[in-house]
Amino acid sequence: MPGDLAQRWQSDLDGLESPQTVKWLRAIQSRARHEFNRSGLPGRMDEHWRYTPLRAFEGRHLVRSLPSTGFNTPGRIFAAQAPVQIDMSDGAPADIRGRGLEGLTVLSLQEGLEQYEGRLKPLVESLDCSGPGRAFTAINTALLEAGLVIHVAEHVDAGQLSILWRGGDVASGELHSSRVFILLDRGARLVLLEQFGPSMEMNDDEIGQPGPGLNLITQVDLAESAVLDHVRLQSESGSASLVTNTRVNQNGQSRYAYTGLDFGGGLVRHDLFVALQGFGAFARIDGAFLLDGNRHVDNHILVDHVAKGCRSDQFFRGVLGGRSRGVFNGKALIREGADESSVRQSNANLLLSPLAEVDSKPELEIHADEVEASHGATVGQIDDAAVFYMRTRGLDENQARKMLISAFCNSVLDRINTSVVSTADLESLASDMYLNMPDMAEAVR
Amino acid sequence: MKPKMLEIKNLHVNVGGKPILKGVNLTVGAGEMHAIMGPNGAGKSTLGHIIAGRDGYEVTAGEVIYQGENLLPMPPEERACRGVFLAFQYPVEIPGVNNTYFLRAALNAQRKYRGAPELDSMEFLGLVREKLEVLHIDDSLLHRAVNEGFSGGEKKRNEIFQMAVLEPSLAILDETDSGLDIDALRLVADGVNQLRDPLKSMIVITHYQRLLDHIVPDVVHVLADGVIVASGGAELAVKLEEQGYTWLEQGGIKAVDTHGTSSQTLQ
Repeated sequence: MPGDLAQRWQSDLDGLESPQTVKWLRAIQSRARHEFNRSGLPGRMDEHWRYTPLRAFEGRHLVRSLPSTGFNTPGRIFAAQAPVQIDMSDGAPADIRGRGLEGLTVLSLQEGLEQYEGRLKPLVESLDCSGPGRAFTAINTALLEAGLVIHVAEHVDAGQLSILWRGGDVASGELHSSRVFILLDRGARLVLLEQFGPSMEMNDDEIGQPGPGLNLITQVDLAESAVLDHVRLQSESGSASLVTNTRVNQNGQSRYAYTGLDFGGGLVRHDLFVALQGFGAFARIDGAFLLDGNRHVDNHILVDHVAKGCRSDQFFRGVLGGRSRGVFNGKALIREGADESSVRQSNANLLLSPLAEVDSKPELEIHADEVEASHGATVGQIDDAAVFYMRTRGLDENQARKMLISAFCNSVLDRINTSVVSTADLESLASDMYLNMPDMAEAVR
Repeated sequence: MKPKMLEIKNLHVNVGGKPILKGVNLTVGAGEMHAIMGPNGAGKSTLGHIIAGRDGYEVTAGEVIYQGENLLPMPPEERACRGVFLAFQYPVEIPGVNNTYFLRAALNAQRKYRGAPELDSMEFLGLVREKLEVLHIDDSLLHRAVNEGFSGGEKKRNEIFQMAVLEPSLAILDETDSGLDIDALRLVADGVNQLRDPLKSMIVITHYQRLLDHIVPDVVHVLADGVIVASGGAELAVKLEEQGYTWLEQGGIKAVDTHGTSSQTLQ
């Protein structure tokens, strides 16, 4: 199967020789294409893809992601006071709203590649495209054309910026590629809220076809003392496929706080790679996945402690009903010399159905001294004693279960800093999160 | 005669195939407070759980009539909505669920069942303040997760607080006194006494008599090996305290009360 699909995607790529205007990219793209042609797609034998079969990509084909007309905003600058909102359609910028603020720059990828060549070129070049496990990176690089560049200047607090990702033609079977660069200069701050879906509903005659498909790479570069709060909310339809790869480079004293909330999607794969390169950097990487039906969400995290005295904290909660499957594969690598590092990993899961599955794999690899490390993973079920207790107070079984599941997941929301994301936003996140819960509670019975 | 709140007739219950209750008869009138005493393993807590509706118990004979209706087929939440309340011997910790939020959801579920309008958070807070004042409980418990990290005394007080807010017609207090020091015991007992009402009934399940120094019951029953072997006034509790449960085992009770009447013979 991976062989057939890989061949088809190779011929897709051959037919998509895009007229790249940015000269320095041409060689990189041609190398990526070559890598993909040579390696193909990952199969079950690939350790990092063994939990996530690519069946969902059958019937999809690769396309160029072209910016829609109307988003031509060279050098446009936006405000923190009125949060900036960017709409992305099929991986390309479609609309942008907000008011100007000195020090925040938002550009389409094409504009950004020219204006920020000096900073973006090394980032593009740093991505390894070799081997089947990096097939989606190779494809993304080969098709690099649509996306965004967001830059916050030194010591500017850019406030909140949100990006809404949606599939345009929902039943086209296309797999779009997009790339986002986020550059925070020394002491800069940004709150980035990303929402994936829900895309438009399919027409009746389209049901059964592959829905929106996106292959997104986000590259984040945080200078000394920069702070990025990153909240992602994914509520795509069950026919959607989403492969995202977020790569964060952290310099000294910088802080990256990630919260990923997944409660939709058909096949969803998140790779998150954080490199702690400077003394005192801190990464908090949290997630909740709340799945029903046949949904599949795979979180692959690698925190690379390169420098001394850095901290990282991974905290994931999974709730799985129906025949859904969740994966938490979280690794912390503490390199030689990265002494006085502190690492925490926690993943707890609730299985609501005998057919649901969770694969939890917290990993620590330590090559340094004086490291403080803890990790743990649990899989359990809803506490029947608690359900009975709540029922004796008048709540019905469904309400009781729902309250317990909410509480379980709220432990993730509670970790979001309310000074950067308002309580109202959190409440709306929570209510979005529990939209599909009644079905989940019933799935058990 | 007072209207009957609860009537248990010839109740036989098995747990895991093993008989625990072997023909319990008990009638509680409206406004009455009954105490059920007895040695460990007599079936006291089983009786409380059966009335509250816990799974895992097999009723092999007999019936439980509450306010004229057969209680046993009702799910636990319906019993609660109709006014049955069990104060747990071991209140369950519910991490992450705020105590106030939980109690408001419970009260509103009950009000909805009865066709009463639901209370908004301001109205609910008003009610809560009123009850806290009556019970002399400070509001620190409100802001925490249900029973999470509560001391033994706090858990028991929280049960009484829930009872005060939910205003049940029939409350069963399952060993509410266990694990409490004397001050906590007095607080809990004061709370219970505040909630006595001519229209409401209570069943206090206890191993020791000391709670009954503070809560004076109308009737005391002794449950031993799955049957009520003696019933009497408050003085029965005193006698039990003096002579211990071995007194029962040594044949202190001549006639076994099987009809829920007050006929018994004490030595």
